[in-house]
Amino acid sequence: MEYFIETYDLTKKFTLQKGFTDFLMHPFRKDEITAVEKVNIKIGKGELFGILGPNGAGKTTLIKLLCTLILPTEGTAYVNGYNIAENSGKVRESTGFITADERSFYWRLTGRQNLKFFASLHNFYSHDAQKRVDELLNIVGLKNRADDRFLSYSAGMKQRMAIARGLLNDPEVVFMDEPTKGLDPGAAQNLREFIKERIVKEQGKTVFLSTHHLGEAEQLCDRIAIIDEGEIRVIGSPEELKSELDKPNSTLDDVFIHYTGKEFKEEVAPKHPYSERRRMMREGRRGMMRGGRIGGIRF
Amino acid sequence: MIYKKAFSFIKRDLILATSYKFEFFLRLFFMFFSILTFYFVAKLIGGAGVQYLEPYGGDYFSFVLIGIAFSGYLMTALRGFSESIRGEQMMGTLEAMLVTPTNTSTIITLSSLWSFIFTSFRVLVYLLIGVFLLGVDMSDANLFAAMVILILTIICFSSIGIISASFIMILKRGDPINMLFMSTSELFGGVFFPIAVLPGWLQTVSHILPITYSLSGMRHALLQGYSLHALAPDIIALAVFSVVLVPLGLLAFKYGVKKAKVDGTLIQY
Ligand SMILES: Nc1ncnc2c1ncn2[C@@H]1O[C@H](COP(=O)(O)OP(=O)(O)OP(=O)(O)O)[C@@H](O)[C@H]1O
Ligand SMILES: [Mg+2]
Repeated sequence: MEYFIETYDLTKKFTLQKGFTDFLMHPFRKDEITAVEKVNIKIGKGELFGILGPNGAGKTTLIKLLCTLILPTEGTAYVNGYNIAENSGKVRESTGFITADERSFYWRLTGRQNLKFFASLHNFYSHDAQKRVDELLNIVGLKNRADDRFLSYSAGMKQRMAIARGLLNDPEVVFMDEPTKGLDPGAAQNLREFIKERIVKEQGKTVFLSTHHLGEAEQLCDRIAIIDEGEIRVIGSPEELKSELDKPNSTLDDVFIHYTGKEFKEEVAPKHPYSERRRMMREGRRGMMRGGRIGGIRF
Repeated sequence: MIYKKAFSFIKRDLILATSYKFEFFLRLFFMFFSILTFYFVAKLIGGAGVQYLEPYGGDYFSFVLIGIAFSGYLMTALRGFSESIRGEQMMGTLEAMLVTPTNTSTIITLSSLWSFIFTSFRVLVYLLIGVFLLGVDMSDANLFAAMVILILTIICFSSIGIISASFIMILKRGDPINMLFMSTSELFGGVFFPIAVLPGWLQTVSHILPITYSLSGMRHALLQGYSLHALAPDIIALAVFSVVLVPLGLLAFKYGVKKAKVDGTLIQY
């Protein structure tokens, strides 16, 4: 079987920046932090692979290594058969990267202008770019709002734009770093369905995503790798992982505790007195507008 | 296809610049003020420094107009590249650009194109106001020679700007190249007064700065219409600087990107 992502002992150590006094006291001491340690994974075509771990586990670092944004300290990796260090241009040509960072767009340009600009960085120009951008706006259901400024979009729409951008070059492999971060539960659910149905099943892409939601990983992923303190503790399908425990009716929670020795705390959204009211108002507005809206996935 | 890519960067920056409409017009408006200041300074000086100004036609206002106009390119180059990196780092858009197949040096170069276009526009406005409103005489100008000097100037200054940007990439702030050139160029480069005014030992400093040759060449070409042949000393000096600075800039930049990718600091600010 041919693999789309392969890593061999992929390791990333960061040298910590020293403060001035530290530097004077121990000028030759090197403080290192190992963000990713000896990671070995193989991911095949059309697979939806999830990397699950708590904050600081090394998920983002691993994704950035594979996207060629940072260089490994040791080990190698191949994406689409290209070495990430030696052939990074080729890797970038055939991959897409989707962050949850909404600042990664030009807020004063419209959604369409943003996409067209990034299309030109992928070497799509004028007519080709136009066509590609229209296609993607359709796919993510943002055609109607494409000519509004990016700053006027909701978090969910911004995230849809990020997805459209990540698909501009029709990549074989799509990396997603916490794609549902900052979305309300309903929107997150819609996005998960979108990833599974349209990106993986319909378009046949290989998806590598990171998450710290157990439920998300379980619902979405064909296989999960649990990462903690930079090391992969275990890899397998959610069912495999659960059945391997000697415990009846075990949950992914149990799996996580078993392999990391840690309790997994799902992030709880901070309670805000107005947030519930705002949500209701939004719902109300949506309700009113429902009639005029064309179909498409909303998240 | 590089020109199409360039066009899309310019379009992006034009939309961004004009989206801050007030600032855009304010900048245009205040350009007139600095010119007028020097116009009156020149009036005050009258024929005072004429023995120093003789090699440039003798008129202080014409002299200083070209000085402030074209030194703008140095400022733009020094700030343009590093500011475009820092700006994208701050906005958070740098990472999104770096995951595309377009390589980093192309991204940085094209990102600063807009500042060069804006600077060129400003230079043009300065010169037009000077010639048509304030009596600067450029009837003999050798435009072709001026163009040659301009291109060499931009190449030299850009290389310095790229070296400065490489420092920014690693140090984030306080890069020495920028400070060095910013602080020395006005004093030693002959922007406001001919370097002949300086004591001999200070003039040595002037001779190691590209801006000195660029301004001297530009003045001779625009005010006195020197031929390419007569401009050879300045042109050769600028060419030598280019030959040294261009590879140095590319090397520094390559090293900067690599270091930032190892440290994982490419997108921090
Ligand atoms: N540029 C850097 N310099 C130094 N240390 C870094 C750098 N980037 C990440 N780290 C460290 O590497 C470790 C892994 O970080 P990473 O961002 O990959 O975690 P993560 O799993 O994505 O966490 P989160 O869920 O919070 O996003 C952390 O301890 C972090 O402090
Ligand atoms: Mg992360």
